[in-house]
Amino acid sequence: MTTPNPEPQKDSIPFYPDHVKTEFYVMVGIIILAIIIGVLGLMHPVGLEAPADPLNTPLHVKPEWYFLFLYQILKVIPPNILGIEGTAFGVVSVMLALIVATLWPFFDRKEDASKKATWIRLAVTILGLLIVIALTVWGEVS
Amino acid sequence: MKKSQRYLSLGLLVVGLAAILLAAVFTHGKAYQVIASSRVDGITSIVPAAEIPPPKMEPCLSCHINGENKNLWTPLARWAIFGTFGLFFVFGVVRSVSVWTKRKPWKPLTVRAAAWVDERYQISEPLSKILKKPVPKFALRWWYCLGGITAFLFVVQGLTGIMLAFYYKPTAAEAYASIQFIENEVRFGSAIRMIHHWAANGMIVICIAHMLRVFIMGAYKRPRELNWISGVLLLILTLAFGFTGYLLPWDQRAFWATTVGTQIAGAIPAVGNLALVFLRVGWNVNEATLGRFYGLHIIVIPLATVAFMLAHFLMVRRLGVKKPL
Repeated sequence: MTTPNPEPQKDSIPFYPDHVKTEFYVMVGIIILAIIIGVLGLMHPVGLEAPADPLNTPLHVKPEWYFLFLYQILKVIPPNILGIEGTAFGVVSVMLALIVATLWPFFDRKEDASKKATWIRLAVTILGLLIVIALTVWGEVS
Repeated sequence: MKKSQRYLSLGLLVVGLAAILLAAVFTHGKAYQVIASSRVDGITSIVPAAEIPPPKMEPCLSCHINGENKNLWTPLARWAIFGTFGLFFVFGVVRSVSVWTKRKPWKPLTVRAAAWVDERYQISEPLSKILKKPVPKFALRWWYCLGGITAFLFVVQGLTGIMLAFYYKPTAAEAYASIQFIENEVRFGSAIRMIHHWAANGMIVICIAHMLRVFIMGAYKRPRELNWISGVLLLILTLAFGFTGYLLPWDQRAFWATTVGTQIAGAIPAVGNLALVFLRVGWNVNEATLGRFYGLHIIVIPLATVAFMLAHFLMVRRLGVKKPL
């Protein structure tokens, strides 16, 4: 295990110990962060709302923040689109988007010729993120 | 060293340990007996008259569970002190035996243990190959860390989740009270719950960030299609973790978030009602929903996640990190 690398390549480092060490520092950072969060939790616990009561609907019902944009889409979608029920249309389009995202490598098969493709994807990502964030904020304040 | 000598030294060690153990057991029992008899007879014995401590003064072995605020560090200090001395003792015994037998020049215990394991598993050669695999230098930028951070947060969630599961009760009658118990009574319970709560949110954020990084850099292209698909499935599993875990506190927010969340599933055409009934175990969120979400949260989704994570990592290892343009 201690034999030196016969032909050290310039553009790479060995997985162990160099890369493992880097990852180790990242882990230590996260552990320190977790401990800080834990200490904060000792002072201000996450807490609970009132116990669940199926007979008493609160005024503002919201899902978790990562489903909030989806919920907001379903809330504001018109009740009837092209003769299809609005919510069904919204859910199906989101599911289709998810399926397309899952199978995206099979739709976008061309090798990147230049950096241009990266920039385009970056722009698309930022646009999508902005839309989702806007919907989330809208859902949070409404 | 001869075989007989080896057996002799091992036997001596066992006898010595047994003697210590027996001595400890007998002296302990005797001390209580003598004191008890002296109390009954009213005669002062040779043993200094010590009272049997009343139950409250017994060393409280469950105080760290009940969260009594005094002696905060007692269990930890006890472990540290006794553990340190125990390690010294074990080290001393092993080293003494080794020097006494003079079998070979002394080698560190870790080296011996590694050699012992390697002799049986023959693992050092493939392992060193795995460990020596070169990692390209461009993969040292911070955005290549995101996937690793997600995996590490999963480990954090596993550990804190197990700790919470020790005290959580997945029934409608007790869930809320058990969370209160964790927050107010269990030592460091509120800290563990806080870490579990925020690491869950962080895991979702970092997981999405990792996915966007891969998307932007075009690292999903041939031959890494399956890696992308397993990654999307892992993201869905992470969201499922969040969705099922959100209900467990069984408070108003949890109950109604699950109600509207399952409503979204119910809006799917054709299979919506089926999905709704599968998730809610009935037409409304009820105690059975809690049990189902708990089972999914602590068994089904973790197992699926570990399986996909292994596939994900294996593919990363085989294919390497994609070189940016």
